[in-house]
Amino acid sequence: MNVGRKRFSFGQMLLNVFFLAIVLTVAVPVINLAARSFASAKGALQMHGFSLWPSDPTLLNYQVVFSNRLILPSLWNNIIITVLGTAVNLLITLMAAYAVTRPRLVGKKFFMGFFIVMMLFNPGLMPEYLVVKQLKLIDSMWSVILVGAVNVYYLFILRRFIEEVPESLIEAARIDGASHLRILFSIVIPLAKTGIATIAMFYAVARWNEYFKAGLYLLSPDKTTLQVLIRKFVVQGDITDLIGFSNMMNKTELANVNYNSLKSAAIVVGVAPILLIYPFALKFYATDVMEGGVKE
Amino acid sequence: MQTSLKQRPKSKGQRILTRIWQDRVLYLLLAPAMLYFVFFRLWPIWNMRLAFFNYKARSAWTWAGMKWFEIIFSSNGFFTILGNTMRISFMKYVLMFPFSVAFAILLNELRSSRMRRLVQVSTYLPHFLSWVVIAGIFINILSPTGGILNDFRALFGLPAVDYMTQKETIMGVLFASSLWRSLGWDSIIYFAAIIGINQSLYEAAYMDGATRLQVIRYVVLPALITPMVTTFILNLGFFLDAGFDQVFNFTNDAVNSTIDILDTYIYRLGLTQGQYEVSTAVGLLKGVVGVVLVLITHGVSKKLTGTGVW
Repeated sequence: MNVGRKRFSFGQMLLNVFFLAIVLTVAVPVINLAARSFASAKGALQMHGFSLWPSDPTLLNYQVVFSNRLILPSLWNNIIITVLGTAVNLLITLMAAYAVTRPRLVGKKFFMGFFIVMMLFNPGLMPEYLVVKQLKLIDSMWSVILVGAVNVYYLFILRRFIEEVPESLIEAARIDGASHLRILFSIVIPLAKTGIATIAMFYAVARWNEYFKAGLYLLSPDKTTLQVLIRKFVVQGDITDLIGFSNMMNKTELANVNYNSLKSAAIVVGVAPILLIYPFALKFYATDVMEGGVKE
Repeated sequence: MQTSLKQRPKSKGQRILTRIWQDRVLYLLLAPAMLYFVFFRLWPIWNMRLAFFNYKARSAWTWAGMKWFEIIFSSNGFFTILGNTMRISFMKYVLMFPFSVAFAILLNELRSSRMRRLVQVSTYLPHFLSWVVIAGIFINILSPTGGILNDFRALFGLPAVDYMTQKETIMGVLFASSLWRSLGWDSIIYFAAIIGINQSLYEAAYMDGATRLQVIRYVVLPALITPMVTTFILNLGFFLDAGFDQVFNFTNDAVNSTIDILDTYIYRLGLTQGQYEVSTAVGLLKGVVGVVLVLITHGVSKKLTGTGVW
């Protein structure tokens, strides 16, 4: 779109400055946090809010994080819950979405209406907590996994993607004698893979970031997750667990640790997987918008 | 059709049963989802009767009537919290809303596609971070010692302010952190609508000698009306959800009375004070009003723009 556009304009310059400022408000705090995570106790005191590089860089904070008796298992738990949880989410959502998109399904209206009611009415915290207690799932990772097993919004998103699969194709396979399972796996899944990838990302990000239910239901220290610990250290400022590494470090090393740097390192570990999948997430979530923006 | 019916003279009920039997696999595929809803939605809904009972851990609950609701409505706390909830919702759903529209319009005006992509990549990112992490980042930004904001204040010789623990500043912190997290992401829907505008509309406008501002006013804005109305109305349906995760991670004793919302109240009552019944009763009120709000906004939005919640 070149109509009416001059080669250089003062307006464009202002816009660029404005957007650069916005980019910096996101980038500087994130980079600052990452830089702090590499700072030694001495360096941390010299760092400013706009420092983008660690003073007196060291890997000590990460050594502490990865040698801590609590953090390493919690990272592992976070990963397991994310992987297993997302798998459970995808399986259940996909099966249900396929079933409710079948035109012949008797009771289709009932199921859709039921899902909408389930989406709208949230029974709230205590009634759910009591169920988890009644099911004796407290302190089992299945509490967190099962409580978030289906998200109706994502089910509806996936339904829309599956509806795009040509019905004639499925009908033809039916006539050839293919079973529903076969159709699901060899026709629907390959053709709706963009939709499946999209909700997989949604689910995985939510699983990875889950801190509230995990903190609520996983009580013993060896069951806890990284997000819960980060909340404990960073938000609640409770670092007693974090310094429980003293037996693994000698006194001089201990003196080299700055707690803010240590907290920053814990946050970086908690964000790293998100940063790793972010390029893919952008590809799936916002392709149209971003490509459209570039193509224009 | 007619002949096949004659060949198999069955009643309507029988035919439906045959179809269900033929498609039994579909019901098996639906079973896990249905089980989930039975266990984690319907059973909790059944547990909600606790709002009318006295809780006993191991024996039968005893009837309490409207006792818990009377307690809720006779306490000052509830109305303060309702007020806080409305205020934070207003801030999030009404005040923030022009920002994302303006962001999309300005982003579209940006000529450099590399800059545009850089802006998109960096402003969509915070949407993927958990509120725990965002709170950590803001604690760092706002820290009175070594936080960027107070570093700037120091440049001008101003004293350091602990923004997180001041009642006067905490709402600003909530607003800023919402904006930081959602400005880019929320603007996607508007940006997509702008991209969808037919190029010939722009060309016609320029032929007629329109300025850029006039193009924004008469070509771009009209395309944004539908997504604006839809988003705005639908957001009103979530007015009682002021955002638990944000408040829960930004709150502290010094500011809790100003930003305590329904969901944090429900959490505190139930899980830190052990008042299961009152907590459930507040949750019931919130749930019922919430459904009514969403149904109204869904209906209005469907009427006005053809798009609803589902």
